[in-house]
Amino acid sequence: MSFLKKHKYKLTAFILIILALIFAFRQGGNSPKLYESESVTSTAEQNSPEPSAMQALEKAEKEETAETEKQDAPNTSDIQSGTPQPKTENAYSAQNASNNDKAAEKDRYQTEPAVQAEQPPDQVQSEDVTDKELNCTLSVRCDTILNNIEKLDAEKLELVPQDGVIFAEQTVVFYEGESVFNLLLREMKKNKIHLEFENTPVYDSAYIEGIGNLYEYDCGELSGWMYRVNGRFPNYGCSKYQLKAGDKVEWVYTCDLGADVGENYAAPEE
Amino acid sequence: MNEFKNYHPAVNFLYFTAVIAFAMFLMHPACLVISFVCSFAYSVMLNGKKAVKFNLLFLMPMLAAAVLINMAFNHEGITVLAYLPGGNPLTLESVIYGAAASAMLVSVICWFSCYNKIMTSDKFIYLFGKIIPSLSLILSMVLRLVPRFKEQLHIIMQAQRCVGRDVQRGNILRRSKNAVAILSVMVTWALENSIETADSMKSRGYGLPGRSAFSVFTFEKRDRLAVTYIIVLCMYITSGRLAGGLYFRYFPSVQWHYMPVYTLSILAAYFMLCIMPAAIELWEVSRWKAIELRT
Repeated sequence: MSFLKKHKYKLTAFILIILALIFAFRQGGNSPKLYESESVTSTAEQNSPEPSAMQALEKAEKEETAETEKQDAPNTSDIQSGTPQPKTENAYSAQNASNNDKAAEKDRYQTEPAVQAEQPPDQVQSEDVTDKELNCTLSVRCDTILNNIEKLDAEKLELVPQDGVIFAEQTVVFYEGESVFNLLLREMKKNKIHLEFENTPVYDSAYIEGIGNLYEYDCGELSGWMYRVNGRFPNYGCSKYQLKAGDKVEWVYTCDLGADVGENYAAPEE
Repeated sequence: MNEFKNYHPAVNFLYFTAVIAFAMFLMHPACLVISFVCSFAYSVMLNGKKAVKFNLLFLMPMLAAAVLINMAFNHEGITVLAYLPGGNPLTLESVIYGAAASAMLVSVICWFSCYNKIMTSDKFIYLFGKIIPSLSLILSMVLRLVPRFKEQLHIIMQAQRCVGRDVQRGNILRRSKNAVAILSVMVTWALENSIETADSMKSRGYGLPGRSAFSVFTFEKRDRLAVTYIIVLCMYITSGRLAGGLYFRYFPSVQWHYMPVYTLSILAAYFMLCIMPAAIELWEVSRWKAIELRT
């Protein structure tokens, strides 16, 4: 009793803090209540891989490391040839353990394999840009917002076009050696469309934060801008993608980390 | 000329919490103007010429710098004025928001300078010494840290000048040598002082039950009046804010709702809250003058 009396304030303060934390947690976007229905954790229910498949995988990994170590002056492209592409690994697992190829891709710690970084086709450098004019198509769309309009920041409602098209698909001119980022920057400026990006020159990396005042996180916490070239999403930055003549560049707004526009990083290979 | 200071510490504390919270949360430009003007006027009233100098020489450049920083890093908004060298747009909205945010920043600093003048450490300890002894001691020490250091630095510099170790005399080597000596004295003093404070508070049984405070304040009728005044106005302003009477958005385009009488009444309430201490001072002065004239 005396203990309670003595530490009355401390105990009340402690309980209040806990209550405040619980409240904040329930209010927050990542609260389990909000995501219970969606089966985000479905991959956790994988059965353990067969020992033979695992050993084979470990062996293959050892060989890979040995191979890369053998090379005397390994520049980036050499390492690239040494490590298997996601596709080849997939083929391998399909051969060996066809019934649970997904589990075989996991390492012995049962974690998901890291998404293999594709190397950009060519390092884009500013001196590579020539005067040669080439054509490609560009479009900027945000139609996924129309399906998730209730998640959208109420202040941004007026900015979403009726059909979700911010910049209709059209043929645009680019100069040989330019990246997707250069193209977007120029076209948005030319067409008086707002664009905000974050540039990190050290890594030659540009990140598009918002187009037409529609920003990342404006439509839920998994939202943002992604780019797609000829129907697939390169998994490196837009300032690294060197354009080729006839490329079809699409900038799309995702509300679900890419899943709603056809890209799924959580399950890299289907 | 320090009538509001004589009110009960609870009144002072309640007032400053309310006013500083509103200064931070009400981003309506009219509210910012009210808060800015009132805090500026009251800080000048309390600190005289010193405050004028500080506000003009330090806060105004800070205001300009905050606007520029916002322009450089915030590119949201539908009205593109120009393009920055990096390629990001410069928008009208970011300029307006920068101005608003820096006005808020400056007025909060002004309010805190008034707070420091009014809420002396004994008042703070009186209020919170029993509930949260160690925290309130630390807070009152921290809040007094910079002004006390400034005073002590001045004293040390005067003393050093007397023995011929002025920081303004001699070549650069000599001057820096003297400055380092002053810094060393300063650090020694600060460390020793903090230990002394802790020891002395401990030897006096600080934080033990049954102790009274250094200053004794009584909650008078005028304090009750002031508390009611503050709380009623705060409730009105908060409800007005929640009801959307002060709706003003900066991004992506500047937009506001104006409800003719309602918005004005909230702004009037906010003004009445912000001007309260200054009005008390002025009223007290005029009353004093009237008494003087009568005799």
